[in-house]
Amino acid sequence: MVVAVLAYLLHFFIGIPSVAIAEEYTFDISETEKKPYHIGGYAEIRPALFGLDKDASLYKLRFYNRDEGGTLEEYNAALQLEGGLEKGVARLFVRTNTDYRNSYLGEDFKTTVYEGFLSLKPSSSLTIDIGKKTLKWGKGYAWNPVAFVDRPKDPDEPEQNLEGFIVVSADYIKSFPGPLKTVSFTPVLVPAYKDVNDDFGDIDHLNFAAKLYALYYDTDIDFMFLVGGSKTAGYGVDFSRNITTNLEVHGEWAFIKDYEQKYLSDTGDIIENEVDAVSYLAGIRYLTEKDTTYILEYYRNGTGFTESEAGNYYSFIDNGYVTYVSTGNDSLLKKALNMTTGNYGKTNPMKNYLYLRASQKEPFDILYFTPSIIGVFNVNDKSFSLSPELLYTGIKNLDLRFKTSILRGDRYSEYGEKPNDYKVELRARYYF
Amino acid sequence: MTKIFMAMIALLYAIPAYAMDGTAFLKQVDRNLNPESYESYRKLINVEPDGRKKEYTLFTVKKGVDKVASIFLAPASEKGRSTLRLGDNMWFYIPNVGKPIRITSLQSVVGGVFNNADILQLDYAAEYTVEKVEQNGNEYLLYLKAKTKTVAYDRLKLYADGKRKLPAKIECLTEASMLIKTIYFKEVKDFGGGVVRPAVIETDSPLYKGYKSVMIFAKVKARDFRDEAFTLTFMPNLESLR
Repeated sequence: MVVAVLAYLLHFFIGIPSVAIAEEYTFDISETEKKPYHIGGYAEIRPALFGLDKDASLYKLRFYNRDEGGTLEEYNAALQLEGGLEKGVARLFVRTNTDYRNSYLGEDFKTTVYEGFLSLKPSSSLTIDIGKKTLKWGKGYAWNPVAFVDRPKDPDEPEQNLEGFIVVSADYIKSFPGPLKTVSFTPVLVPAYKDVNDDFGDIDHLNFAAKLYALYYDTDIDFMFLVGGSKTAGYGVDFSRNITTNLEVHGEWAFIKDYEQKYLSDTGDIIENEVDAVSYLAGIRYLTEKDTTYILEYYRNGTGFTESEAGNYYSFIDNGYVTYVSTGNDSLLKKALNMTTGNYGKTNPMKNYLYLRASQKEPFDILYFTPSIIGVFNVNDKSFSLSPELLYTGIKNLDLRFKTSILRGDRYSEYGEKPNDYKVELRARYYF
Repeated sequence: MTKIFMAMIALLYAIPAYAMDGTAFLKQVDRNLNPESYESYRKLINVEPDGRKKEYTLFTVKKGVDKVASIFLAPASEKGRSTLRLGDNMWFYIPNVGKPIRITSLQSVVGGVFNNADILQLDYAAEYTVEKVEQNGNEYLLYLKAKTKTVAYDRLKLYADGKRKLPAKIECLTEASMLIKTIYFKEVKDFGGGVVRPAVIETDSPLYKGYKSVMIFAKVKARDFRDEAFTLTFMPNLESLR
């Protein structure tokens, strides 16, 4: 007993470290000086190799009049620049993206202003933004059915910057004591006219969207809508909440009124319908004791195609290809191409999907190394893409990523009919 | 006889200091670590076993017992990223992603040994109750228990300097008393305005053998903020508070 107590005391005494034990660490205060301007961005190179599937419908649609062999190489580079200038209550922000692509189609070079807006902040409660910006509504990681004023993101690259739309928006924030901690209201005007947001939807409309956010009983809740005529009206709600220190749940629900559905019948006729569609998403983010993070999401795309509607499209392409091979007439394939753009060609165009991302932080004690595996599963036709990824961020301002995607599925399934069976990609991105 | 005498002395040392109000002491430790509402700059350094370092610079603001937010100023790859904590709720804003995503306290937005709860530290008294206090001369050992299951560490053993009322070392433990990490407070410095606190916090962990993370504080000063600065909607604008 005495020995135990003495041992405990010894531990107690030597447990308190001396304040004098200190290694020299430097913190240059000049790093904290604020400048009125900011210039930054990144440059990246991204070579990729595609393994082609010559039996796939979308291969036939894309390559029917050319032979590219069994594999395709593609050399991509990007330069993303951003600059900010702040004076008083005003801030000007611009982000441009320049893409370079050298592929089987030759060289392509395109610069796009992703964002460019003036932000006025007369108080910490109110911000007014005028210009091109992304709003990125929704809580989902891979999909956002409630993002009515955004371009759809790619579940393969959900963290990529996207091009915005020209808007006038405001954020009014109010905090409270009690269970309702925060409320913020974001009204947004989205003009769609010739040369102004002409790719937002039908032109000659002034659209109005709004989002009401609340932090209520430790749950983020958003209500949002879009009306105005360029797109069919949408109404949505989303939420997100931490259940424990390592588990987060989130969800989205959207109602799209009078959605104009356009699909191919089994005889190849174009059928157009107006339907009220409901889309939703449910997801979790879970961190295990071994530092593995899982993101799992289920997405119901109410505006998506059924398995038979998608099958009709693939079968139509196959028939068009047979006609082209036997007669040289590509009119059916051109009709299929028309049905692809903005319709069957959308990212994840069908009804039900599952997304799983599992990433392991620093395995084998390799700091800044994160291997991940990402799976996107089409629940309807059981096809999928599986993408192992290795990310290393140990070199200052440099991200190195090696990613492989394997696509599998039966004939007339989404991933079975993609033009490639696999893709291998290396990405080196340097931030400055 | 000698053994009995030594045991009695030992027991005297081991008797909890009932006379002392542990909660009041802990609140004083919190106030000495920083004003209730303040701003500060921090450099976070992750040190690998081979001595390689990775550094991050953050601007941090805190209000009251449950609101804290930080924005990364450097390196370029992290610039503009911000974190917000409101009680048990934590979010991470990445400019590329464009919207705040919920994160959990045990994750780490910077890698290394510090997790999100360490980086967005609230007052200890806000998250823990004092179960027991032991005194050894001028040094105190506070046994702290998390108030809720959502707190990152179930138990803390806080070794404090009784005179300065500042922590010297904190051991972070699981519910089963397994040591997760040890946090050392070093180099007490006068930041002006009555703020005298350790300028360096260092941590290591048996779970990350050979690694350590360091936090260096600068320009710690009392400042009041509107509650609206601690909201999701404001996260992209945190830089404007500098």
